[in-house]
Amino acid sequence: MIFRSRELLIFLLLAVGTVQAEVLTVGPGGAYQTISSAIAAAADGDTIRVESGSYNEELTVDKRLRLEGINMPIIIGTRKGSTVTMIAPGSVISGFRIEGCGGDLQKEDAGILLRSDGNIVENNELEDVLFGIYLYHSSNNTIRGNRVVGRKHLESGGRGAGLHLWNSSGNTLEENIISHTRDGMYIQSSPDNTIRGNRVSQLRYGLHFMNSDDNRFEDNVFHDNIAGAAIMYSQRIELRRNTFVRNRGFSSFGILFQDCRNCVTEENLILDNAVGLFLEATNDSVFRRNTVAENDVAMQIFSSSKRTVFTMNNFINNLSPLQIVGNISSSTKWDPDEGGNYWSDYDGYDMDGDGIGDVRHRIHNIFEYLEGNHPRLRIYLNSPAARSIVVTEKSFPILKGSNEFDNRPLMRPVKIATTFLPERSSGRAGWFLLAFSSMMLGVAVAVFYRGLVR
Amino acid sequence: MEISSVITIARQELTVAIRNKWTIIFASAFGALVLVISYFGTMTAGEIGFQGFNRTTASLLSLALYLIPLVALMMGTQSFLNEGGDEMLYSQPISRGEVLAGKILGLFAAIMVATFVGFGIGGLIIATQADAGDFIGYPVFVALSLILSLVFLSLSILVAVACGRKAKAYGVSLLVWFFFVIFYDLLVLGGSLLFNERTANQFIFVSLFGNPVDMVRVAGLLSLRGGEIFGAAGAALLKFLGGEAQGITILVISLGVWVIVPFLISIRLLRTQDI
Repeated sequence: MIFRSRELLIFLLLAVGTVQAEVLTVGPGGAYQTISSAIAAAADGDTIRVESGSYNEELTVDKRLRLEGINMPIIIGTRKGSTVTMIAPGSVISGFRIEGCGGDLQKEDAGILLRSDGNIVENNELEDVLFGIYLYHSSNNTIRGNRVVGRKHLESGGRGAGLHLWNSSGNTLEENIISHTRDGMYIQSSPDNTIRGNRVSQLRYGLHFMNSDDNRFEDNVFHDNIAGAAIMYSQRIELRRNTFVRNRGFSSFGILFQDCRNCVTEENLILDNAVGLFLEATNDSVFRRNTVAENDVAMQIFSSSKRTVFTMNNFINNLSPLQIVGNISSSTKWDPDEGGNYWSDYDGYDMDGDGIGDVRHRIHNIFEYLEGNHPRLRIYLNSPAARSIVVTEKSFPILKGSNEFDNRPLMRPVKIATTFLPERSSGRAGWFLLAFSSMMLGVAVAVFYRGLVR
Repeated sequence: MEISSVITIARQELTVAIRNKWTIIFASAFGALVLVISYFGTMTAGEIGFQGFNRTTASLLSLALYLIPLVALMMGTQSFLNEGGDEMLYSQPISRGEVLAGKILGLFAAIMVATFVGFGIGGLIIATQADAGDFIGYPVFVALSLILSLVFLSLSILVAVACGRKAKAYGVSLLVWFFFVIFYDLLVLGGSLLFNERTANQFIFVSLFGNPVDMVRVAGLLSLRGGEIFGAAGAALLKFLGGEAQGITILVISLGVWVIVPFLISIRLLRTQDI
């Protein structure tokens, strides 16, 4: 016998438990009228099926249960505390619509509050909640396919986060859709989680993240927020194939790294943000094969950031490519052995046809260089005067300009399969511009015809 | 002021301007430049799978800031100081103010029609190629360009009336163009270095109102992209102007002042002149 007797006992107990697991039905046609009475009557391992309907109650799941909603039953809380609190490990809650938790930010009032490990929270809809799903010292959970809509009528600062992780590790957050909360995901002191395929929009920070090492972010979309992702005081963070689009606010950004180390950012799309990438005091991080396009400023880098590497990225049609704040130059490497980057404003040539420009690319011009430490100069963005300074500096290099060069600029953009394409603007706006332009052309043609021919 | 005689003069002026080869050359050149900018602007972005609006319209705005003041000044000078034509006009029983107003309106219509060729082509390309949420910015941008042409037409009469001679007026017009398009900003930039950050900001913001080219540029970028485009300075600017919508309104009203004041001064000067 290789099993020890204690293990055998546990196995037997589990087997018996599985056999005896009951299904309790809640609803007009079921044995129970309230979910809490079913929970009180249930034993570990039971399943509670809740039929469609409205349930005005507050739940505490204190046993290992499986709660299944049939046709989206609605649980409406008492507007005090959390609507659903999970304190027993290994429970499942799926298919509910959950509303009406309390309004106290200090007491973690959430749609679903998890205080135990190994739970599954799946396919729920949370509306009119302060926090959406709050993981409070709660590990190895799977949070998948939920939708969180915050309290739109509150000021942004008065709302909670969509998904809030505190001191929780080993969780998988997948394919959730979050909007109108304060931050989309707030993650603090929570190492080693996987965050994949979530979609976060119309709120303050898409991702607000601190003191949490070894987290992985894949295929998430952060769009139309005030800021995309703020990643602070953490190490070994991996960001892959995420999309940061239209995060626009004053001194806002697609991704911010502050006091981070050894982070890897690969194949992300950073499009149409006020600042694309923002780096402060962030060391030894790599940016590879990202597309940074159509941002007002592609990168803002404080010279306190050391040894950052940019390789094989596409920088396309940004109004300004780079601002460096602090010292004259950063220790950023733009052209490691792996290769340089593609810059849509590169004006060099490639005589030997190897796909790498023969002239090194000066990343920012004298004006953008001055802007780094004199933000007021940006008022002259796009002005003929600023351009004349740039041309003067190119022709008569008396002024000492930037030292940031890409010695191996790529001639063609790197092909990167983006996971998310921003949807085409509403057809109406396109038609409006078509009509407006046709009208202008029509007027011009008519007047010229009348003046010239008749 | 008799509106009907102003309109009559304006129509006459428009016909003359349309038949002028320079107007046709300007319309074609402007159209070609807009075509190139909007076509290549939207094309490079297309390589990567999305197409944008941002850099393209910013470049179009730049083009307008350079060309429109220049063309307005040249067309104005040419029209006001053409030999032989206007003595007839001034001998008619209409006031000199009516002549000036009619001529400005006619020239404005001519510039509008000439730029509509380019703006129309650019708009069509952007509408079919680009992918942007806010197309409403384009008509605003066209309107601002037209206001800019009106300001410089008004300045051009002032130059013409003050100088009197054609050669001198062309020279002064070029100086006016150079001053407002480039030199003024360089002066302010240099001047701002004398102050500390806070005062320098105020100095720059107030100085915007002294230059219609700056006002159009700032109002254009504000309406196309919002104040974030200027970063921290943008936040300070909006605080100074009292918000985005109010800021654009204030800038447009100030541009109106820049149209009316030179015009009124010109009328005063012309009244006392012996033609």
